[in-house]
Amino acid sequence: MSQDGKPSSAGAVAGVDALSQDLLAHALAGVHDPRDRKSCRLASRAFARAEAASRRSARPLRCEALPRVLRAFPSLTSLDLSACAGLDDASLAAALSSAGGTELGVRRVSLARASGVGWRGLEAMVAACPRLEAVDLSHCVAAGDREMAALAAAAGLRELVMDKCLGVTDVGLAKVAVGCPGLDRLSVKWCREISDIGIELLAKKCPNLRSVDISYLKVSNESLRSLSTLEKLEEIALVGCMFIDDGGLRMLCAGNSLQSIDVSRCHHVTSQGLASLIDSQRFIQKINAGDSLHEIESCFLSKLSTIGETLTVLRLDGLEIFASNLQAIGDSCKNLAEIGLSKCNGVTDDGIASLVVHCGYLRTIDVTCCHLLTNDALAVIAENCRMVECLRLESCPFINEKGLERIATHCSHLKEIDLTDCRINDEALQHLASCSELEILKLGLCSSISDKGLVYIGSNCAKLVELDLYRCSAITDEGLAAVAQGCKKIRMLNLCYCTQITDAGLKHLSTLEELTNLEMRCLVRITGIGITSIAIGCTSLIELDLKRCYSVDDAGLWALSRYSQNLRQLTISYCQVTGLGLCHLLGSLRSLQDLKMVHLSWVSIEGFEMSLRAACGRLKKLKLLGGLRSVLSPELLQTLQACGCRVRWVDKPLVYKG
Amino acid sequence: MDRSQNHIHGQSAANFCYQFGSDNPLLGMGIQQQFAPFTSPFGASSSTNIPHMDWNPATMLDNLTFIEDKIRQVKDVIRTMVDNGGQLPCRQGDLTQQQQVVNADLTCLIVQLISTAGSLLPSLKNSSFLSQPPAGHMDTVNHVGSSSSFIPNATTISEENKEDMCSPEDYEELFKGFTDGAMEGGIEIDNVFVEEQDAKDGDEGGDASMDGENLPPGSYELLQLEKDEILAPHTHFCSICGKGFKRDANLRMHMRGHGDEYKSPAALAKPPRDASVEHELVKRYSCPFVGCKRNKLHKNFQPLKTILCVKNHYKRSHCEKSYTCSRCHTKKFSVMADLKTHEKHCGRDKWLCSCGTSFSRKDKLFAHVALFQGHTPALPADETKNSSDQISRVGSHQEPAKFPSSMGSSFMWGTSSSDDRGLDVKGLAGCSEDILSTGNFGSFNFSFGPADGFTGEPSGSSFSVLPPEHFQSAQKKGKN
Repeated sequence: MSQDGKPSSAGAVAGVDALSQDLLAHALAGVHDPRDRKSCRLASRAFARAEAASRRSARPLRCEALPRVLRAFPSLTSLDLSACAGLDDASLAAALSSAGGTELGVRRVSLARASGVGWRGLEAMVAACPRLEAVDLSHCVAAGDREMAALAAAAGLRELVMDKCLGVTDVGLAKVAVGCPGLDRLSVKWCREISDIGIELLAKKCPNLRSVDISYLKVSNESLRSLSTLEKLEEIALVGCMFIDDGGLRMLCAGNSLQSIDVSRCHHVTSQGLASLIDSQRFIQKINAGDSLHEIESCFLSKLSTIGETLTVLRLDGLEIFASNLQAIGDSCKNLAEIGLSKCNGVTDDGIASLVVHCGYLRTIDVTCCHLLTNDALAVIAENCRMVECLRLESCPFINEKGLERIATHCSHLKEIDLTDCRINDEALQHLASCSELEILKLGLCSSISDKGLVYIGSNCAKLVELDLYRCSAITDEGLAAVAQGCKKIRMLNLCYCTQITDAGLKHLSTLEELTNLEMRCLVRITGIGITSIAIGCTSLIELDLKRCYSVDDAGLWALSRYSQNLRQLTISYCQVTGLGLCHLLGSLRSLQDLKMVHLSWVSIEGFEMSLRAACGRLKKLKLLGGLRSVLSPELLQTLQACGCRVRWVDKPLVYKG
Repeated sequence: MDRSQNHIHGQSAANFCYQFGSDNPLLGMGIQQQFAPFTSPFGASSSTNIPHMDWNPATMLDNLTFIEDKIRQVKDVIRTMVDNGGQLPCRQGDLTQQQQVVNADLTCLIVQLISTAGSLLPSLKNSSFLSQPPAGHMDTVNHVGSSSSFIPNATTISEENKEDMCSPEDYEELFKGFTDGAMEGGIEIDNVFVEEQDAKDGDEGGDASMDGENLPPGSYELLQLEKDEILAPHTHFCSICGKGFKRDANLRMHMRGHGDEYKSPAALAKPPRDASVEHELVKRYSCPFVGCKRNKLHKNFQPLKTILCVKNHYKRSHCEKSYTCSRCHTKKFSVMADLKTHEKHCGRDKWLCSCGTSFSRKDKLFAHVALFQGHTPALPADETKNSSDQISRVGSHQEPAKFPSSMGSSFMWGTSSSDDRGLDVKGLAGCSEDILSTGNFGSFNFSFGPADGFTGEPSGSSFSVLPPEHFQSAQKKGKN
């Protein structure tokens, strides 16, 4: 795509300028990759104007850019501030007000993990965006009732996610329920203060709710009784609700709109409760009963046939499942697209065979930790499920290249395969390489694969996005060269404990422009030079893990602070860096939000103090050695806390591994 | 009337008696000494823990021993009387005085005996007698106190009076009166209390049915007091000076000042109940307010049981609420007792609705919110928020540093705002210069290309413009 955009734009600038903005916007709409769009923008002012006028969504990475974003893109409807470093009430309010007197058309705002934003910011946001429809406040752990009260002023709100807003109580929920009666999607996962009383009011005030997530709440069956009055309820998640049992599920039987139910980790829910639910709700599409039902009873399996036509997703993780059970599932649910059997005891080749024989439409098969499976299971999957896209085979020790060969030859749509801890070799990779659609490949702990296998992958899997080579210790720089040569789309790469890798390997990796996440724990041979080449080459880098890279020194940090302006998450524990390097790093990286720096024995207390002061407005998570708690100045710690930064103090002895 | 006033009489008597006792130090002291052993077992158990509530054999045993002691004491007293009587006829005055003293002792001892014996019965239905607060207990004590404390004056009283006092029947009767009064007073206290509660809870509605004796019309005597009568502050008036009193007992105490004849035990004692009262019809009351359910003309008339009920009902339902709570300044009451009850709980209703109504329980608040459109639960400190609301709106636009410092988070505001202002206003202009001055920490800035800073797109192309020596120079500078 990017190759298409660049050469044509260079020559045709004049022609592009002549075209109308609508046409250009229309043309841009077909360009999905943000990098390609950028190429277009840079090539022609007309494109830039068209883009600015038509752009619908933005994801600012620094709060300083926010006012310009709002001014430049007047038709913005979706604003993602979850990665916006340094965002706080004042800057949010100022940015929104500086957008001019005109009302913003923004409808969706994501403030996930925006821990610096409180009720003042939310109030300003709600006032500035009268058309607000969806807000995501998940993981704003400090958010409480006051923040909810501010949000409740957005009367048109339809979607609200407030997972892990730990301060929210029934009062906050009631504020939202009363203020936003049109709510149709709500998640209050992990809001542990919310009780039955709040849920009851919610059900009374928001009759249009379609999706509710009350996972991990301390609510009882009474909440389900209240929620059962919602006529449009389609989706409900009850993960880890310890006080809900079959009686509650029976209350949910009223109505028949339910399409998806998640009762995983509800220890008091049994097969009978689920059976009675299925009996009355006849259009269920998704059931997740992982780690809940104590055993699969025949009452549940026999009822499955009543929803056999509609059921597409069935997850039964962690249960005892025998071949006969799987056969019953296969007999009744012909349209299954996803089956989850991870950590299920008793899953055998025969069981898988009797399941997949009927379920030809399976796309996702999760058999993680089904230790008994062999190549026969893979063969029967390959034979019956030609559409399969995702195979999770982690810790299936009896499968090998023969089984994977069958898969690779028959399942050409395979996009994701997890072979972590499977004893596979280079030959298996040779077969897998024929799956040209492959995007995610996990090979962690497969210590027998070598550069040869990676060469196969690099030769054919150009669409690879994620590659996990955790503890593949036989990998060397040549293997990386092959991957970097062939798989330009890689975004996530895990090289932890591949100890043979040196700076030369990183030099190869530096050609991966799209790389965002790079984990390189314990690569003891890499130095600042390697980091420098990564920093210069991989400009998209967002997360970097350099824990226990003992040879990495200040030079690496200098390069990172110079070039990795998008870096958000960094681990430099045990690195050989000094206070000066740290200071420069934290002073320069304006997107950095999450920093782990344990056992930096070369950094003085002043070094820590200075560098943290330089970044304290932006940091959200910090991991430091417990001993520093008493020596760092209280003002600094107070400032960090006030800016919404959470510090995790660890006490670990300094042990050198490698 | 008598019944309802009875406990009031007891309580007021308690107050009076203290004064009275101190006026007569001689015998007052003596009596107090005698009381000392009495109060210890009973007083302790009644004031701190109610005997029948946590009934234990140890207390019972104590009480029994106490009774034993007392009986022995009574025996001793009588024995001395017998001895004295047989010995020699002393002077008339001496003898009477001694008799009086002995009789007073006797009375006192017997009262103690009875009350202690009463406390031994844990299964007594009417627990209020046993658990009766010190007021009731003081009641008996005070009667004794008052009866014995005028003994010094008795030397001067006339012959008839002497005879009056000496006759054993009189003592019996007097004593009976005391104990009856004490007991009934105790029971009455409870009844009145219960009735008041009922009246408060259900607007006297459930009164008739609650008391269990749903009298058919005509089976009781119906009285209707007039408004003035109900609202009159005093119901008992001194026949000599005209001074008014709320309670008969207070009047009797007052009467002592008008002459010695009012100081006799008989005059001071509670007027004995007529034998005929028992056979009389039960009294019930009607509210004078026409249209009221408690008015006899009402279709579903429900009579009021006592005068106190009449008074409270009339004040609550048909009078202005003149007592305002000093804490919340919103709740008003027409009966002082109601105000005091409210003030005990005022401020504890932490569940507030946006409409101003407060609730003591969360579920009640939420039921209220569910019922009314637009009502929401109020945040605990909503007022402070609203007051600063305006300031923060204005402030956030221009002068973030001037956020109200009282909000507690001013620290954060101060630091972040100054930073932001700087960046926001001259961020663009400043950074292009910064890029040229390489040694400057934090200079490598976001706003390199116009769109780079805020999108997820890598800014590689713009950064690769930098010459490599640029980086090296910075590195050297850092090492220096």
